[in-house]
Amino acid sequence: MTNVSLKDRAAVVGVGVTEQGRTPGASNLTLAVDAFVRALDDAGLHKDQIDGLLTEPGTTEFGWALDYLRLGEALGINPSFTHTVMQGGSTAASLVQTAAMAVATGQATYVACVFGDTPRTSRGPRTTDAAHGNAEDSWGVWGALGAITWSAMSASRHMALYGTTSEQLGEVAVSARLHASLNPEAVMREPITLDDHRESRAIVDPLRLLDCCLVTDGGACVIVTSSERARDLRSTPVSIAGMGQAYTTEKLGHPDWWYGPHQRTAVTRAYEMAGIEPGDVRVAQLYDNFTISTILWLEHAGFCGVGEGGPFVEGGRIRLGGRLPVNTHGGHLSAAHPEGWLTVIEGVRQVRGEGGDRQVADADICLVTGRGMLLNCASALVLTR
Amino acid sequence: MDDYRKPLPVVTELNRPFWDGARREVLQVQCCTECGHLRYPIAEVCPRCLSGGVEWVPLSGVGEVFACVTYHRAYAPEFSDDVPYTVAIVQLDEGPRMLSNVVGPGRLDARVGDRVRVVFDAVTAQTTVPRFRLAQD
Ligand SMILES: [Zn+2]
Repeated sequence: MTNVSLKDRAAVVGVGVTEQGRTPGASNLTLAVDAFVRALDDAGLHKDQIDGLLTEPGTTEFGWALDYLRLGEALGINPSFTHTVMQGGSTAASLVQTAAMAVATGQATYVACVFGDTPRTSRGPRTTDAAHGNAEDSWGVWGALGAITWSAMSASRHMALYGTTSEQLGEVAVSARLHASLNPEAVMREPITLDDHRESRAIVDPLRLLDCCLVTDGGACVIVTSSERARDLRSTPVSIAGMGQAYTTEKLGHPDWWYGPHQRTAVTRAYEMAGIEPGDVRVAQLYDNFTISTILWLEHAGFCGVGEGGPFVEGGRIRLGGRLPVNTHGGHLSAAHPEGWLTVIEGVRQVRGEGGDRQVADADICLVTGRGMLLNCASALVLTR
Repeated sequence: MDDYRKPLPVVTELNRPFWDGARREVLQVQCCTECGHLRYPIAEVCPRCLSGGVEWVPLSGVGEVFACVTYHRAYAPEFSDDVPYTVAIVQLDEGPRMLSNVVGPGRLDARVGDRVRVVFDAVTAQTTVPRFRLAQD
């Protein structure tokens, strides 16, 4: 593939994370504004310097195409570049890529990527909607309700083909909780054991309660600018060295949809741009809406072979101090939900060296991945110092 | 049967032959008149050749479990009497994959690779839902 490489053309210069958990009284919009203000402060920027505004509408108030306008008005800014997209847990890393392209091509100078969501305190979309997926699918007819369905299907088939065990999924959950216990922003900080996982109730077998991510309210913001401008700002710049996206739009129509071949493509593209190999990655933040997702990402990112994700996580390999610390903030499983956003922000913090008690030594190359919708969308970033 | 509270299919002109077929206890999908591709999910055009030409063809209703999961939690109150129930992706012998349920004897022990056969569940006077039972070999 030939391209005008975006390697190291843009950098993350500001991150903002609101309170996570239950935020009664807050709306998607107020959380987005809060996150934006925090990220501005982190970068040392004034709001009027932001001339690019990229948003993901919350899952509970689909602002869809108008989301950027609503937020811009609330912030009192009049940008020269905007974009709103919904790719579920893939959106955050995808918007950072759009931001990098915008600054590299001169369409904007300082781009804020913003999200706020209240799935915990407000009623989400009714899950019995027979049109879940699309009208012709009518999957609710068969009781296929909730986002858990598709990851449970992935786990079912991965277990059948490769012998992956529930205990291996449990190790992913235990590892995430261990990391969350070291993260003051995490919602669930009480350590758990493999026994706790085994004894947690079955939700959609083969997934148990402790295989599932949290459902929490919160906001997040990431500010991107050119690598040149980044050097003059308050924070330690984190370079966007590689990026990639890919999609499997077909669901039942694609034999490998359950496994996510697009995830591998997205990571491979990011590695190629950054000029790195899996062995160069020091820490990884991998989208973990369910424990099986972490296993799939480990395979797609080339840390192990196809089907080897289960054995790979054994023995603490993805825990702090292990060969490849994964989701050092606790992930969606234990830190908080904002789909894919804290994954990106933890990547930034690790590369900056601001991980506190959970800091990985020499975390100078971090892989960040997101996946969203009905497993369809994947995005990947390589962040470096 | 009027007390059936679970979701019913959104029947459109596009998918009506699928649901009409089910009422006649025939599992049928679209076949592209241009390239012969058997497609499911139901779609306006063939995803292989983009032709809109379509013929509905009956399938054997036989296949195998591609992936299967068991709901122990009811995500909607309408399903609270059903748990635990099994949702599966079925690999049909003719090629398409279909989302459905495994019902009947052994349903909770269904495993990837198990052979299954379609059964038709008339849930209301108007609607029959295709589901699958483990094949008795
Ligand atoms: Zn065709």
